[in-house]
Amino acid sequence: MRKIFLIIKREYLTRIRSRGFIISTVGLPLFSAGIIAISIALATRPSDHTLRISILDNLGGISGQIVAGLQGNLPNGKPRYEIVKILDRPASEEEARRQLNDQIRAGELEGFIEVPKDVLDGKSASFYTSNTGDFSTLGAVGKAIDNAVVERRLSDRGIHVDDLPKLVHGVDMTMVKVSKSGETEEKGQTFIVGFSIVMVLYITLLVYGVATMRSVVEEKTTRIIEILASSVKPVHLLTGKILGVAAVGFTQYLIWGACGLLLSGYGSAMASAVRPGSSMPDIHVPTSLLVYAVIFFVVSYLLYASLYAALGAMVSSEEEMQQVQLPVTLIIVVGFILYPVIVRDANSVTSVIISMIPFFAPILMVLRIALQTPPFWQIALCILISLLTTLGIVQVSSKIYRVGILMYGKRPSVVELLKWLRYT
Amino acid sequence: MDAVAIDRVTKRFDSVAAVQDLSLRVEQGAVFGLLGPNGAGKTTSLRMIMNILVPDEGAVQVMGQAVSARTQDLIGYLPEERGLYRRMKVREALVFLAAIKGLSEGEAGRRVGEWLERLELAAWAEKKINDLSKGMQQKAQFISAVVHRPALLILDEPFAGLDPVNAAIIKDIMLDLREKGSTIILSTHRMEQVEMMCDAICLVNHGRSVLAGDLRAIKKSYGKNTLRLEYEGADKFLERPDVVEKVNRFGAVVEAKLRPGADSQEILKAAVADGVRLTRFELVEPPLNDIFIEKVSTANA
Repeated sequence: MRKIFLIIKREYLTRIRSRGFIISTVGLPLFSAGIIAISIALATRPSDHTLRISILDNLGGISGQIVAGLQGNLPNGKPRYEIVKILDRPASEEEARRQLNDQIRAGELEGFIEVPKDVLDGKSASFYTSNTGDFSTLGAVGKAIDNAVVERRLSDRGIHVDDLPKLVHGVDMTMVKVSKSGETEEKGQTFIVGFSIVMVLYITLLVYGVATMRSVVEEKTTRIIEILASSVKPVHLLTGKILGVAAVGFTQYLIWGACGLLLSGYGSAMASAVRPGSSMPDIHVPTSLLVYAVIFFVVSYLLYASLYAALGAMVSSEEEMQQVQLPVTLIIVVGFILYPVIVRDANSVTSVIISMIPFFAPILMVLRIALQTPPFWQIALCILISLLTTLGIVQVSSKIYRVGILMYGKRPSVVELLKWLRYT
Repeated sequence: MDAVAIDRVTKRFDSVAAVQDLSLRVEQGAVFGLLGPNGAGKTTSLRMIMNILVPDEGAVQVMGQAVSARTQDLIGYLPEERGLYRRMKVREALVFLAAIKGLSEGEAGRRVGEWLERLELAAWAEKKINDLSKGMQQKAQFISAVVHRPALLILDEPFAGLDPVNAAIIKDIMLDLREKGSTIILSTHRMEQVEMMCDAICLVNHGRSVLAGDLRAIKKSYGKNTLRLEYEGADKFLERPDVVEKVNRFGAVVEAKLRPGADSQEILKAAVADGVRLTRFELVEPPLNDIFIEKVSTANA
């Protein structure tokens, strides 16, 4: 026991102090936040100079409301849009359009809005511009036309635009989930929650499974395994290694979880400061789902980590490792990409069968539990199958590990692997 | 009580027997040479002593106990293929390796500190192993083999890659440990090291013991059948197939193995007749190197 603890400790401390751990722990949230922030900033960034725009109003009399919708200044204080000319019902639409197009080509205009005669009946308006990639201007122009047209339609029917919000205020909907156990839970974000949990399981199995394998291969390539094997039982070594890597993963999730809580707290504070009374959506995760997720995670983590460790023990170099890990990685990926089957109908025969396969269970069964809790016997059976499979795989893997760590050179064939299982 | 007692052990991998009906005893306090050509079964034997492998037949005892997790802690091992955790600091890695041999971490830290001083590595204690030169890594690894004061020390090619100064340091430590009661098993291909250091040997070939016992007794049993010569002049005087069985030239020294019952005086006469200036003419026991080659090649023939 003491030796297992020493192995765990070494594995944990060297990993947690490694540059890779620090970078991924700090870097991943920063990176994703950064990507989101940059993409938002890039997509919505307004141009930094005044756009010269003309309006070709074939309907007549609507340009005033459009202009009113295009107010506002740039950060440097200049107006965002300069309305160069308003053509109200010109004699010839074609002639006017041709002139305006020429002006755009000559660089005298950035663009013009054309409002068709029957815009009130649903005909689409157009924005002519040399820069079709400028979505923020298209958005602003579209909104201005939209508002102007709606206002005109309403006033044609004798309704004042300010009364609108009261008239169209809808009814809020709440979805209530009915589950077998009789309880009814409010489930607004069932899918998002289920999917996020499954995503975390998926990534963890992959990342820390491969980390376990790397650790085995490192001890093999440095030959330190000879000394370890002469001091510790291989099965203890394997146990310590798997638990040590798991502890690293756990630490990483604790850090991320704490950051997430802090950020969401900060988010709701910001939201209520900006608009009093509002708050971040309250995501409710049922306890039973979390408990099941943890059970499936622990069982399947053992399964995959020991499988990856056995693969690591079969090879003698980092390059070979890349090749042998593929089948196992594929199994995890396949389990993940099957999720739409569950989402479509969580209780179909196909869903029941594929979620019972122990290699997929951590992802698919957990997703089923999140979406539409299956009968308890199915969950219990699935846990039992997973547990038995894991025990079997751990047995086989630790035997392969025990023999493999001392073997160098050619990678074993399947026949040789079967022989390894019989070695004492 | 013997330090190691291997009793009629057989170990097969698939159908190939790596070790076959092997018995050997290592007396406590001895320096024991485990010899044999590549692939003879030395590593398999050592691994069974260390409880890494379990024999198919027979029994292995260390310090009077059947091998087990407990006996593992009594053994220190320097494998032929060297390696330590490259990205760990020297002190940290050595403390870990000492702790999994059963020392408390406090005790391990203290002793690792002492050994680092003794092998002049103290300045490197907080450096990563990767930053050490090859020789320094070798010394660090040697520490991992001896730090828990093992009753049995197994050294596989301990001097490989060491310069003469460091080799002398390691040799002195080995003799010192032996003085303090440790038993040493030395596995090496360097026969002159075996001749200088070992009390007893076992030569294995194809998984079987082909020669075992006290080194002096073994050499004596061959008798003084080898002429060690240094001379100036033509070596035509050695071309006497009736007297000389084989000639080994080492440059300055020439060794001539005599036929059984042949008289060395015949050679001396021939040399004098040829006008060769002899500076050395010594009748000696055969070098271990020759015994090794003879035993292994007759077995393979």
